[in-house]
Amino acid sequence: MQSLNKNIPATFVLFLFVAWSGYAQKKISIVTSLPDLASIAQEVGGDKVEATSIAKGYQDPHFVDAKPSYMISLQKADLFIEMGLDLEIGWVPLLVDGARNPAIQPGGKGFLDASTGVPLLEIPSGDPTKLRAEGDIHVYGNPHYWLDPQRGKVIAKNIFDALVALRPENKDYFKKNLDAFDKKIDEKTAVWIAKLAPLKGTKIIAFHNSWPYLTERFGLQVQAFIEPKPGIPPTPKHLVSLIKLIQEQNIGSIIIEPYYSKKSAEILAEKTNAQIVELATSVGAEKSINSYFDLFDYNVNRLVDALGKSAHH
Amino acid sequence: MRSRPALVPLLIVTSLVFYDPAKIVAQKSDRAVQDSLDQALEKEMMEALSGTDTSFQMTGSTSRSGSSTNPRISVIGSFLSSGTSNNATAKTVDLGLSEAEISFQSYVDPYAKADFFVGFGRAVEDPFTGPDKGAAKSGDYEADLEEAYLTTLSMPFALQLKVGKFRGDFGKINQYHPHGLGYADLPRMYVNYLGEEGLADRGVGLSWLVPNPLGFYQELNVEITSGALDNPSFGGSSDNLLYLGHLKNFFDVSDHTTLELGLTGMQGANGDEGRKTKIGSGDLTLKWKPLRENRYRSLEWTTEALFSHRSDSAKTVKSVAFYTFLNYQIAKRWFLGGRYDYSQFPDNSKDSEKAYSGILGFYATEFQKLELQYQRGFPAGRKAFNRILARLVFVIGAHGAHQY
Repeated sequence: MQSLNKNIPATFVLFLFVAWSGYAQKKISIVTSLPDLASIAQEVGGDKVEATSIAKGYQDPHFVDAKPSYMISLQKADLFIEMGLDLEIGWVPLLVDGARNPAIQPGGKGFLDASTGVPLLEIPSGDPTKLRAEGDIHVYGNPHYWLDPQRGKVIAKNIFDALVALRPENKDYFKKNLDAFDKKIDEKTAVWIAKLAPLKGTKIIAFHNSWPYLTERFGLQVQAFIEPKPGIPPTPKHLVSLIKLIQEQNIGSIIIEPYYSKKSAEILAEKTNAQIVELATSVGAEKSINSYFDLFDYNVNRLVDALGKSAHH
Repeated sequence: MRSRPALVPLLIVTSLVFYDPAKIVAQKSDRAVQDSLDQALEKEMMEALSGTDTSFQMTGSTSRSGSSTNPRISVIGSFLSSGTSNNATAKTVDLGLSEAEISFQSYVDPYAKADFFVGFGRAVEDPFTGPDKGAAKSGDYEADLEEAYLTTLSMPFALQLKVGKFRGDFGKINQYHPHGLGYADLPRMYVNYLGEEGLADRGVGLSWLVPNPLGFYQELNVEITSGALDNPSFGGSSDNLLYLGHLKNFFDVSDHTTLELGLTGMQGANGDEGRKTKIGSGDLTLKWKPLRENRYRSLEWTTEALFSHRSDSAKTVKSVAFYTFLNYQIAKRWFLGGRYDYSQFPDNSKDSEKAYSGILGFYATEFQKLELQYQRGFPAGRKAFNRILARLVFVIGAHGAHQY
């Protein structure tokens, strides 16, 4: 009896230690709207985090369905990350509100808008009430900013700040990962630019205006879109004008997102010499794209193959 | 390519050397030299950052426009026209804006958000009930506070509290505003048992995400409301508290297919003092929508059935009603739908109405849609009719979210 009593403090300390170490080892659960954010969060968070994405990489980020089952995955999250700029306006608010998770409400430590501080292109000027007449224009600017690897560094820095706020004791660890990520991005950016350098200034056609950040970084020139205005399907008249444009300017490639119907692009390809190049908009768009680095490896290789071929053509 | 990033640390190191404080204090005259050197360095850095050659620049603006604390405001117009044959109502053709709805939505503080919906509606004649009942006067718009409620966001134990006036969590579609439905008229089951506008009362609702070992979405919602004075099932009583319980189950059958099963139980006093009406209902919705190219093809099939048990001093009436609606997306902007309605009445199970509808929907953009609906209606005790409904719905203002 006495020996048992003696052991109580030791048992208690042991219990505290086990409980504490269990707590310390608990990974930060991160849920992101898009897989690119999950990939970067995993890079920065390392083995201290578990990051998953709601949308799949081959989905249209504007139009993900707000299935209630996604609320269940958000319910236990410590951190939710969105691209922001109203890209996910049609689905994220419903999921965040419905998740019953006070930790991830906007304004709190567990909610991160990854676009914070990202330099944006195509910020509309003028009367905002006229914007809708221009199609699906985003009032804050073009939201596809993660398609520039350098802007990926800003995303990573934002995620780093959010992780430090949640786990200050792991700051050094996250900093080490962030620096490694930035270094790798810089090294790879140089490689990607070098690979695409011979194709600098190549004119292309795009389906939707998803690519300004990618084309600016790598020096490609989108001459026209298959959509006459963002979100508006092409008319026969618009397709005719594109056929003329492709022929006049000898444009070799039409880039398209994974989630759009290829019908109109195929018509253009058939009537001209241009070829269709499906690019990845997000991590996971193709089986081989498992990380944010893979995303650019894939797209750069696709562009080099396709545009290089059409240049010789 | 690699020389540019290497330049930046070099510059920093260089400038740090030049910033040796001892030197600056000791040699004041050197400051001018130092300043000009700094300026030169700064100029070089600026050129390095904005020059055409560098690969790591980022153009664009980091400022965000349009931030204000105003709530999200949107206005929805619904223009409904109908033509009815074999009709006993006063009008066979009805043209006109049936409703304008203004909504304001915002977070209140870190603990709650608020939603307000104000509607300006015009009564549209109902060919099922005839001219005597609806008492519609065309051109008369009535303002109505459709919904005004606060929803908590920070309650523990996966609870959420709703306070105010709101559309009740009955069945599958009661919480939707009419313009969000894929047809121009409310199913007869809703009209006959809950009223022309559906169920929308003032009160409180508490919902709970039920934890379950299988990890699927299960939500239990309990609502206590009051004010359903003109409700066909519960109206006319002074003691008209309504108790509603709704259990929503949602399953991902696959990445592309989902199944929702809802059960609702409702009880309240009816017009006859002290007597009660009980309603039980079930709703089943199957949705198929491919994840990839999800904007080109989809299918939705909703069926709802209702059982009512109403007793008053004279009699007890047990009645039923149901509808089934199938909507298939045939192209990016085109939907083809069909609906069958069968409904008895809360106080009469001997008579019933039926209706067949076919709907063609054209969703021009997210902000405008046109629906053309043909309906063959069989009212209780009156001649069958044919009706064409055309509805144009348009939205301006804030972009809303799309409930699944």
